[in-house]
Amino acid sequence: MPLTTKDLQKRLSKRLANYKISDGAIKELAERVMVDGMTITRFDVCIYGICLDYYTTKPPKLDGFYTRAGSGASRFQVFPYGIIDWDYWHVKAEFPVDELPGAGGFNR
Amino acid sequence: MPEPVTNNEMRSGFLPDRIIHLHPTRLCNLACLHCYSESGPKEKAALEVELLLHALPLLKAEGYNVISISGGEPLVYAPLIPLIDEAHANGFRVNLITNGLFAAKRMDEVASRVDGIAISFDGLAPTHNRLRGRADAFERSSAALARLADSGRPVAAAISLTRDALPDLPDLADHLVGLGAKALQVRPVALAGRARTMQDLSSYTSTDQLRLYLIVLALQEELADQAAVHCDLAPARGLWQQRDAYAALLATCTRPGSAEEPERLLAELVNPLVITESGTLKPIAYDFNSCFDVASIGTLSRAQLTEYKQQRLTDLRMLIGGALAGLEGKDGLVDWFDYCTRLSEEQRGAALHKKQNAAAREAVSEPEAVATGSPLVRKAGNVV
Repeated sequence: MPLTTKDLQKRLSKRLANYKISDGAIKELAERVMVDGMTITRFDVCIYGICLDYYTTKPPKLDGFYTRAGSGASRFQVFPYGIIDWDYWHVKAEFPVDELPGAGGFNR
Repeated sequence: MPEPVTNNEMRSGFLPDRIIHLHPTRLCNLACLHCYSESGPKEKAALEVELLLHALPLLKAEGYNVISISGGEPLVYAPLIPLIDEAHANGFRVNLITNGLFAAKRMDEVASRVDGIAISFDGLAPTHNRLRGRADAFERSSAALARLADSGRPVAAAISLTRDALPDLPDLADHLVGLGAKALQVRPVALAGRARTMQDLSSYTSTDQLRLYLIVLALQEELADQAAVHCDLAPARGLWQQRDAYAALLATCTRPGSAEEPERLLAELVNPLVITESGTLKPIAYDFNSCFDVASIGTLSRAQLTEYKQQRLTDLRMLIGGALAGLEGKDGLVDWFDYCTRLSEEQRGAALHKKQNAAAREAVSEPEAVATGSPLVRKAGNVV
């Protein structure tokens, strides 16, 4: 049976809690989560990596992901709400994560 | 005497509400190894309810809108129901945190009166029971949560985790949500009270905090359609960006209540406000350094609060200003109220405090002196 997103979330929370993800990986992941000026609203996991959805009321400075995010994001999507809400931006950043199955497997 | 200014739109610190944390007693049917208030079966001290009832209108007028009752175990506080009823009559919302071990009849009677109820957990059964010193604590607390949820009441779980209990969190969250919890409030155990004597807490590193934060993010998605999951840890950078939440406290170093600045409500300046079983009103936390105490409930009056705002609030202003300034450029996570509380402890030295008081009063009485005052005063004045 294929893994669902919920299965992956559960695996991620348990692997984090059981110290099966190294301190180094924790620090790197946390750097990605905590980006200046942006409020994280979603934290999705797929077999290849983690997608983070941020909202911000300032034009997003995407270099923040690179300067503190080690290997950086593999893809960004930026949605300016514009006429709906002039000062509102939605940023979606996708990061590969070595310790997820598509990129190396849970059992490494 | 100047009239307090009301501004319902202004934030007061990093909390969504203006909250009083009430500890009416330290009496408890448990003596948990990590209890920050060192409560237990032998701690008989309790606050006279008449003093509380007398204070409620003034505290409401000072802008507070929520009372969160804990302890000790609040259900052992005999006049709890009259207190809740009077708080409601004064316009407060009332929440309660219990260990869930008390008899069902008493708990149900109280639960039917409060606006929100949370049961405290410390991990899965082995961890929870070891910390609580009772073999059936987890089973009984779980049963209480399930019974409250089954009766249709929105019930939450307040989860305090030692580092050793971190691996328990995902299964504990599943267990509690399965029983019907609609919200999980997760925090690392504070290094206060009896917890100071627990050896294993000293190893709660900054990376452990990051790990806990990420677990909560994963749980938020995993349980998104079942329960809200919140962590008391927050990114330092995010707090720095929200520092204007303390604008009322820090925007000026002029004397509150003077012609330059009308008197503000206490809730705009001190949030949360803690009331201990001994009747002391304290800022921020139960174990906040006593040199920052606001007032005593036995003598509480409008004039006393005005005197606090005019004369002694400066100490808290400097501390919060310094704490906020310390967030600038800081990486990692902060347990904000615990961080402020530990900073308050650093001012325990009487000589240091005396010196700071003198400097602060000088700065307050002469606003222009702020620009050339101590670094802490400069930080407090300039941070917002």
